[in-house]
Amino acid sequence: MANGCRCVFAPIPAAGLTCLDFWCKAGSAFEQPGEEGLAHFLEHMVFKGSHSLEAGAFDLRVEALGGSSNAATGFDDVHFHVLVPPEGAQEALELLLDLVLEPALRADAYAMERDVVLEEIAQYRDQPDEQVVQQLLAASCPEHPYGRPILGWEDSLQASTPETMAAFHRRRYRGPNCCLLVTGAIPDGLPQSLSTGRLVDLEAASTEAVDGVTAPPTQGGLSFRPGRSTIQVDRLEAARLLMAWPAAPAGQQRQVMGYDLATTLLAEGRRSRLVDRLREQLQIVESIDMDLTTLEQGSLVMLEACCPPETIKEVEKEVHRVLLQCRSEPVQPEELERARQLVGNGLRFSLEAPGSVAAIAGSQALWRTPQAPLAALADLDQWSAVELQQDVFSHLHPDQAYTLVALPKEEG
Amino acid sequence: MPPVSDLILDPHTTAGVLAAKLWIRRGSACDPDQQRGAHQLLGSLLSRGCGPYGPTELADLVEGCGAGLRCDTNEDGLLISLKCRDSDAERLLPVIGWMVHQPHLLPDQVELEKELSLQALVRQKEDPFHLAYDGWRTLAYGSGGYGHDPMGVTDDLNRMDRDQLVALAKQLDGASTVLAMSGTIPDALLNLLNDHEAFQAQATPTSSADEISSQGAEGGQDRQQSLCLRHQNTEQVVLMLGQPSLPHGHEDDPALRLLQAHLGQGMSSLLFRRLREDHGVAYDVGVHYPARAKASPFVFHAATSVDKASLTLSLLHQSWNEICTTPLREADLQLARVKVRGQLAHGSQTTGQRAERRAQLRGLGLPDDYDQRSLAVMDALDAKAVQEAAGRHLGQPLLSLCGPEASLRALGEQWEQRQ
Repeated sequence: MANGCRCVFAPIPAAGLTCLDFWCKAGSAFEQPGEEGLAHFLEHMVFKGSHSLEAGAFDLRVEALGGSSNAATGFDDVHFHVLVPPEGAQEALELLLDLVLEPALRADAYAMERDVVLEEIAQYRDQPDEQVVQQLLAASCPEHPYGRPILGWEDSLQASTPETMAAFHRRRYRGPNCCLLVTGAIPDGLPQSLSTGRLVDLEAASTEAVDGVTAPPTQGGLSFRPGRSTIQVDRLEAARLLMAWPAAPAGQQRQVMGYDLATTLLAEGRRSRLVDRLREQLQIVESIDMDLTTLEQGSLVMLEACCPPETIKEVEKEVHRVLLQCRSEPVQPEELERARQLVGNGLRFSLEAPGSVAAIAGSQALWRTPQAPLAALADLDQWSAVELQQDVFSHLHPDQAYTLVALPKEEG
Repeated sequence: MPPVSDLILDPHTTAGVLAAKLWIRRGSACDPDQQRGAHQLLGSLLSRGCGPYGPTELADLVEGCGAGLRCDTNEDGLLISLKCRDSDAERLLPVIGWMVHQPHLLPDQVELEKELSLQALVRQKEDPFHLAYDGWRTLAYGSGGYGHDPMGVTDDLNRMDRDQLVALAKQLDGASTVLAMSGTIPDALLNLLNDHEAFQAQATPTSSADEISSQGAEGGQDRQQSLCLRHQNTEQVVLMLGQPSLPHGHEDDPALRLLQAHLGQGMSSLLFRRLREDHGVAYDVGVHYPARAKASPFVFHAATSVDKASLTLSLLHQSWNEICTTPLREADLQLARVKVRGQLAHGSQTTGQRAERRAQLRGLGLPDDYDQRSLAVMDALDAKAVQEAAGRHLGQPLLSLCGPEASLRALGEQWEQRQ
């Protein structure tokens, strides 16, 4: 669109539902000091009604169409999605855009929903494993928005007002920051209707042009601090070893696919190096996982081992040994092929449902040039064993990680 | 006997993806006395060596194809799930047969899986929702088949030995099974199912009716208590209010399904509006009503801060009583019907979902068009009939709480006074 907003259509043959997914570059990384938690709180408040929809009217009408709706706030972006039978898609689209672009932010609803968000924060605090992951992020990215919880701080939420939230909304929900995905069964006429719909009215000027606020860099801006700490966590029953490394930002797709291959080779399936060594041979962990969280300002590789407290030292030693071995010993062809198959099929299998297609394609279309969801497979095939060792495993050195050892709290 | 008792084919347009689900009518409700967790342990061992494949060879085969293969144990059955590309299906499908009919149960693998299960049981205790539900389950089903987590019980697992698992595996070999395949189904697969030795049972088949009726899910019929407290040093109190209700397929199941949609499905649902939007007392709130062969749990769940727990309990209790005493408004009933219809569409988006629902229905002895028949029944039910069904089956709710001791004590007193 002329205002910079992008609309992407991804039809899925034989899909019985339509997914409407509105994306905006308005994740927690865009919060200014004092706004911590506002991006996520706004996601809640959007569902409390717009200037023309009473609180609850949106949910009622979408669910009366046989649909469902939800939303998710991340570090980089937020998206609001509706899954609905195609015959109700046009009506649902109008409702969704009305809700997201014109939230009412009524004062009474604001106070009530803030209580709900505080309950959500309390619920997370009661999950020791969530606390451990949050501590790792806080320790490894202490001066970066990725280091603070997306849910925010209680103090800043209490201090926030509908006016500060409205200002955040005005600042971020602008044409160049927005993208609409329509996936699954796409009804006739729906794409054409967008040319006269609400998206056209979005402001074209970017945030920086309006209020001089500096947007976070979108490439390579992650400040990461390696280190090590040990903590005791209340109500933790099993020990955890967590390690985090900085990785390529989402925009560097080839590099990202390399990290995906590496983490798969290391920790997906019984024949992966870490699972094979620590769980199958030595039998010192209950589980060991390694994931790549793809982020715009720099992705994060995170390793988590769960084990009895008495084996934690041995677990750490063995993890180091396997990681160092990856730098010195070549990747075997069958290992690489296995990882390629697992990563590739992971992508292929996720393209069945309109919602998951929208989730994959939405991030790409919002931040970069839209591409076919399977286009990433081409990058997968380009990685050789030698390149993987030189360009990825070399960065997954224990000394370059932040390591957090979490132990059950001792009585007394 | 046919190699697979029941076969369901569901060709569906995909980009070359096949999902196969094999339902075996023996779940954790069939765990023998003092062997709680045996079926889960057995299920986890099926992919650790079977037929011609040792543990390593099998992992190499499956992971080398980038496929997913797992066995999940629920109360009513074991469910083996395979997801792969259609081009790999011929190589991989026989593995499912080998898993059922010729698992190796190697001693070292048994010990490894047993230890992993024991550690997983320890880790489960970190989750207050799990603790609250575990308390509710014990309260509701006692020593019955549904009275323990499918994962098992620490003391029983500690004592379990390989011979016990071998005995169970023999029963598995003769158990009736349902295989459902969805997605892109290569023609050659059908011949393979008929001819391949992987699908030939070694043991005498048992009847499915015997298996389901022997599950003894009910238990807890002599229950004296309606309250379970699990003390934890948490910020929130987790509340579970519910009752063992109906088998999936019971004539009143459509009425309860409507109530579940009305109470807990989506942001327009009663509990969501009442607890979240009207009072702001909870973030996570809903109704758990899974499809079970015997008395399915019908449970409200919510988590709230200590200072709001009393109000939350009152709201949950009030909502429970309302469905038994007050008919739904016609608009609410119609909305519930639409939600159930929408839920069916939402639940059949992927080949895995489609195959699993088909296998589950046959596994529970229900017709393939059960969902469509249920929708027709729901269309014919009026509000009074729904209320009467609630009155028949939801008259004695049980409460389980997990949270700080002082708060639970007060909530317990509040509960006892209302009984």
